[in-house]
Amino acid sequence: MLTSDHPIVVRALHKHYGATPALDDLDLTVGAGEVHGFLGPNGAGKSTTIRILLGLIRATSGSVQVLGRDPWPDPVVTNRDIAYVPGDVSLWPNLTGGEIIDLLLSLRGGGGPGERARLIDAFELDPRRKARTYSKGNRQKVALVAALARPAPLYILDEPTSGLDPVMESVFRAEVRRIRNTGATVLLSSHMLSEVEQLCDRVTVIRAGRVVETGRLDDLLRNAPTVFRVIGVPAEAVIRVPGVTGVHSSGDGIEFAADSSAIPAVLHALHSFNPSSLTATPPALETLFLRHYETARS
Amino acid sequence: MSAHSIPTLHLRRERIILPIWLAGLTLLLTAAGAAISREFGDERERAALAAVAAGNPAFLFLRGLPDGTGVGALVFFQTFAFLAVLIGLMNAFLIVRHTRADEERGRSELLQATPISRTAPLTSALTVALLADLVAAAAVTAAGMLLGFAAWPALLFGLALGCVGLAFAGLSAVAAEVMPTSRSANGLAASLVGVAYITRGIGDALGTADSLDSVSPSWISFLSPIGSAQAAAPFSTATPLPLLVPALLGAAGAAAAVLLRRRRDLGQSLLPDRTGRALWSNADAWRLAIRSQRGVTTGWAIGTAVLGGLAAALAPVVLAAAQANDDLAALIRRLAPGLAVETADLFTVALLGIAGTLATASGVQAVMRLRAEESEGRAELLLPSPLPRSAWMGIQLAVAAGSAIIVALAAGVAAGVGSALVEGTTERLLIPLAAVLVHLPAGAVFLALTAAAFAFVPRLTVALGWGLLVLGLVVGQLGDLIGLPSWLQAASPFHHVPAIPMEALDPAPLLISLAAAALVAGAAVVQLDRRDLVS
Repeated sequence: MLTSDHPIVVRALHKHYGATPALDDLDLTVGAGEVHGFLGPNGAGKSTTIRILLGLIRATSGSVQVLGRDPWPDPVVTNRDIAYVPGDVSLWPNLTGGEIIDLLLSLRGGGGPGERARLIDAFELDPRRKARTYSKGNRQKVALVAALARPAPLYILDEPTSGLDPVMESVFRAEVRRIRNTGATVLLSSHMLSEVEQLCDRVTVIRAGRVVETGRLDDLLRNAPTVFRVIGVPAEAVIRVPGVTGVHSSGDGIEFAADSSAIPAVLHALHSFNPSSLTATPPALETLFLRHYETARS
Repeated sequence: MSAHSIPTLHLRRERIILPIWLAGLTLLLTAAGAAISREFGDERERAALAAVAAGNPAFLFLRGLPDGTGVGALVFFQTFAFLAVLIGLMNAFLIVRHTRADEERGRSELLQATPISRTAPLTSALTVALLADLVAAAAVTAAGMLLGFAAWPALLFGLALGCVGLAFAGLSAVAAEVMPTSRSANGLAASLVGVAYITRGIGDALGTADSLDSVSPSWISFLSPIGSAQAAAPFSTATPLPLLVPALLGAAGAAAAVLLRRRRDLGQSLLPDRTGRALWSNADAWRLAIRSQRGVTTGWAIGTAVLGGLAAALAPVVLAAAQANDDLAALIRRLAPGLAVETADLFTVALLGIAGTLATASGVQAVMRLRAEESEGRAELLLPSPLPRSAWMGIQLAVAAGSAIIVALAAGVAAGVGSALVEGTTERLLIPLAAVLVHLPAGAVFLALTAAAFAFVPRLTVALGWGLLVLGLVVGQLGDLIGLPSWLQAASPFHHVPAIPMEALDPAPLLISLAAAALVAGAAVVQLDRRDLVS
């Protein structure tokens, strides 16, 4: 696989803390110019993977190529071309937001003052306040402005909108579209499924340190299950139909999810029971997700 | 939430740190006591030592007032002021940990959203401090009785220390209300302990000798909770009355803190945060390290400059006392031939030695900032930039060394200029500077060791950084007092620091210390590149 076409190529990645595996045979490929959603329940290993990509921690085994290089031996080289927003932003309490933005930008080689001013304005950040007086959302904005004010070939964003209000989220989405239009690549870890649906070309879903789903978002959605809600039918009607999952009673009816291939069989099974009401919800990322997350618990 | 939950939470969080403090305090007393009863078993030797001390303001300043010629009296004289500083710091850090630090980190917000009163965490922290001071008093009493003291003096010794602890618990609670951050609150509380020690030192040094082994302090000593507690004099007059001063000070501080807390918002402080500049046009990693260290170093430097100034200002007093005591000095030489009575120099050397130690401590604290950056998550913003880890650590080590040098210079310059002013001659202008700067090579070893702790066992950086420094001091400087074998004393870099101007300057041990520091620091830099970032 040509690494120039793929800013991030991870193969058979393992990371163990003592005997506990945090990453267990993880593969991840991010193509050039795409916005790649990186999803998974809490503790799945998203931040661990990102820290390995940044050369902050070392892989136990497996191969990691970021912009064509292994980040661990010399993270300085790869990090020169990466803009990063950590998931949990902590700042120097005695510096102002503006000072921190300038510090981080200068460490990366300096940013355009015009971009900096535009972003501070767009995110409605008061750069004169000391970082200790900032709320979670404002700390997030400081990290976002510092990351976005200098162009980079690769952006790694770990839950970048946590703590942002809906207006700021939309500012953030506009910024991601802007950087994608410049040809940059974005790895976006997020729990905001609507954000992922709006922004991402491809997604990778991980659970317990391994990939459970990866592909183009359109393809995943096409194959995602449809959720049915039916009244006047017992659960036994569909429980044995192949491709049907999550059958449970809900109010005076039942609810279940059915793969697209199972829909004819489901309709056939329901027909003989004379349902009094039927709602089918089209495939959404959330359904896909909940299925993966729920199997994680069982 | 029940009324007991908060103290239970605080006690549970203290289950490791507080026992270490209390055990360390008791062990130090026991070791010193055992060594004194071994080495000064003879009444005449003890009388000589007490006489040397009584006639020497340097001793009075550093150690306190002699309290008679018994073993217990000598132990009290040798250890009380030092133990008082320790218990003061124990209370200061304890209170700030559970008040301002919790507020700063947002943990208080979680607690205060439950149905507890606004002041519950504060009163609980004060209660835990009270308990800790009671335990300290009991442990000191028990250790004293183990060393063979009578019950009443042993109890009074313990109570005096406990009351000093209470005073600083109350004062630190106020500091935590006034200051906006835990760092500044700890700084203010610790400097109050330092001020109390020095005020007592001045008052004691200016005291008047009643007899060969007894000195009445000047009124200045009673301004200090440590000086007042010392006046309980468990082995001579044995009166608990002066203990009211530190006890009431503690109670007043606690009450003031509760009133302040009741009236203020969560997270707010008496000294508010101001806004700053929106731009930092020449920001870089160097300037970040320097800015983060600036305020702390200034605080340390003011402290050591005061010490240096005191050394200069009090030297003539010490000299006069020594000259007035020629007969006494002769008597002492006859009674105890090894005891030096080079009073003025001894005094300056001792004070500048403390300044050298403080300079090292400021550097060690600066190196620890690396760990704070890592554990509090800021390294995760810094290191994904093209900043090599070696540069990150190198810059911080250089800033730490710079901090140590500045703090040492402040003491040396203040002492040199001070003595030039006092004596009207610039002959000795540079001697104090040399006396304090010779501590720095030994200090560099501890800076490097802290960096190594950070690189090899990051989670233990703070414990090992301070622990090794205290160990080095105890072994190298108090080794004689607690009777350690000489090979063990020689293992501490501080043991090889020449007492300028009384001893000649031998560059070899200083160069060895510097080489060792460079080697350890190099290993730390190499290892840092090899390890994971650990939160």
